[in-house]
Amino acid sequence: MAVNEASAVQSRRTLISVISFFAVFIALMTIALFNAPTMGGPRVMASVDTYLAEVRRSGLAFLGVVALLAIVLGLTVARMVYREWPNPKRRTNLIMGYLFLSPYLLITLTFTVGVVLAALYISFNSYDIFTPPQWAGLANYARAFQEKDFLQALHNVLWYSLIVVPIQTTLAILLAVLLNTPVRFRQFFRTVFYAPSVTSSVVITLIFMWFYLRTGYANFFISNFFGIFGVEWQNINWLGDPRGLIQLIVQAFGGDIPSGQWYLRGPSIAWMAIMFQNIFTTAPTFMIMFLAALQDVNPTLYEAASIDGANGWHKFWKITLPLLRPIILLVVVLGTIGTLQIFDQVYLATKGGPLGTSLTPVYIIYREALGAEGPIQMGYASALAFLLAVLIFFFTFLQRRFISQETQLY
Amino acid sequence: MAVRTQTLEGVATPQPPKPVSHYVSSFLRYLLLCVIGLVLFMPFILAALGTFKADSEIIRFPPTFFPAEWQVQNWARVWNTDLGAGGTFPRWLFNTAFLSVTVATLQVIFCSMAAYAFARMQFPGRDAVFSFMLATMMIPAAVTMIPAYVLITKLRLINTFWSLILPGAVSAGSIFLLTQFFKAIPKDLEEAAFIDGASHSEIYRNVILPLARPALLTVFILQFQAMWNNFLQPLLYLNTPDKYVLNVALSIFQQQFKSQWNLTLVGAMFNAIPILILFFIFSKYYVEGVAYTGVKG
Repeated sequence: MAVNEASAVQSRRTLISVISFFAVFIALMTIALFNAPTMGGPRVMASVDTYLAEVRRSGLAFLGVVALLAIVLGLTVARMVYREWPNPKRRTNLIMGYLFLSPYLLITLTFTVGVVLAALYISFNSYDIFTPPQWAGLANYARAFQEKDFLQALHNVLWYSLIVVPIQTTLAILLAVLLNTPVRFRQFFRTVFYAPSVTSSVVITLIFMWFYLRTGYANFFISNFFGIFGVEWQNINWLGDPRGLIQLIVQAFGGDIPSGQWYLRGPSIAWMAIMFQNIFTTAPTFMIMFLAALQDVNPTLYEAASIDGANGWHKFWKITLPLLRPIILLVVVLGTIGTLQIFDQVYLATKGGPLGTSLTPVYIIYREALGAEGPIQMGYASALAFLLAVLIFFFTFLQRRFISQETQLY
Repeated sequence: MAVRTQTLEGVATPQPPKPVSHYVSSFLRYLLLCVIGLVLFMPFILAALGTFKADSEIIRFPPTFFPAEWQVQNWARVWNTDLGAGGTFPRWLFNTAFLSVTVATLQVIFCSMAAYAFARMQFPGRDAVFSFMLATMMIPAAVTMIPAYVLITKLRLINTFWSLILPGAVSAGSIFLLTQFFKAIPKDLEEAAFIDGASHSEIYRNVILPLARPALLTVFILQFQAMWNNFLQPLLYLNTPDKYVLNVALSIFQQQFKSQWNLTLVGAMFNAIPILILFFIFSKYYVEGVAYTGVKG
């Protein structure tokens, strides 16, 4: 009798684990079918049959990869269910747990994981979304390093991070230290300092585009400033000026750098104008993070230092900065990742110009994917996106490597 | 400072008179704070004054600080501008507000559910899913941008608000923030409820959610602001004037009224003022959220 009961439980567990295996498999394959890299024109979407025919024609390799993943995941789930099922309490916990997680899991599997797999597949194809993808191998990746645009975009964002990240981090620390001194209305000042960071980058960019006009405030302030010393200032069109920083220095000594050697010219005036604006909006964000960290610092440390006769300068260098070290690293990495992905400002203010000196990887990806200038090239755009991702992962890895427990996020 | 006065309570220590240098340095500090505040706020002040300038004055050199003639009707002109096909500022304001509220509300609901599972339940695979979530946070938006666009076109969601609501309904960052907050809530209440036979969904609704109101509000505000300021995705997914959000509409508006910067600036004010008001009211939650997601963990 007991044996019979045990075997009945056994077979029920087996049955349920098999069912859950197929449920996971089918769910993942359905998600994959939606993500299969085909494009629904009216012709393809006419009926389920035409859609599936299109998937067979173009997305089979992708579906194969997903099927393998689905089998592995399904087996894991089946094994888990097999173990948990006999105990009613653990069974409810299992079901409730995944019910609570289901909205998150469904959306992420579709719009993040499925989509990244699809992007990986597309990046090896030449694909204009109207016709099925054509296998292209590594051609898209090779092309990225043969064309000037992407290299120039990398060159630009490298200059961008080199200049923006140190300046904005330093400013953020200084602002935070200033706000952390015993001042009244600290909340008020914090709110005012932070205001440029909460408004949309579009608003800030539009306002700065207006400042940077030939007749704008930027020229006005600088010419007034130079006027004090009696120096004449020639108004410039900030966002349309391709002259590079190094080029200007060389020109001051009478030389010049030809446009063929754009990589030697340094960041252009237009690009540096965008940098200035970006520092303006990001420094307060990071100030908030530093301020939060500073308020966790034990005040007795400073008191002890005061008793030992340390002045404010010593306290800053010997206590504040070492304590802020992990957050400085975090801010540097977050800042670098952010600067690598800059898009809004470029799209609005310069569209990559003048002479490509403000091209960025994300802007090129957008341009190629939507065919803003020339044909739609989803495959090439995806390949660029993955190259950018590799760069970003590299920085994230560095951060993981150097910051241990204190900051887990990102 | 507060700690020290507390320990010395009742012991009337006569404060030594402060030297003059103390007052000078604190005066300089306030001066510095005010100057920095003014510099950081200057773009908004100049832009706000710019909205009242006449078409010719806005691009004249040298630029003026106060408008020579206050053109208050600029605001009405922009409010009544019609780009055709239902593209007006009231419409765009409504679209933006609707999307922001919807996305923020869904995030609060779905992310708090997931966070409850991560923080308060025991089931196999929980930690694996949590690590998976942390891993997805590292995927840059640039990678998902293109295939998400293809997928949304294929699901026939392009140029509908679903294209922003569905992918925006959860985010790993919000779940992470809420999970950390839920973990800090003491377990006593919940254990008492368990003994009374309450289920997980009852505890989630009646114990955790009421206690987590500040964190939920933080998530709501952060996500509201993120959606309000979102530019790239609406630019990709919404492409008729009646569906635009403010950010996208502004970029098109600016291209149509190229030299009339006073009008573009009015549009920018329509975008900036609501979010600034919201921020000034809720700045405490907002700042905590930014500090928390970045630093703590």
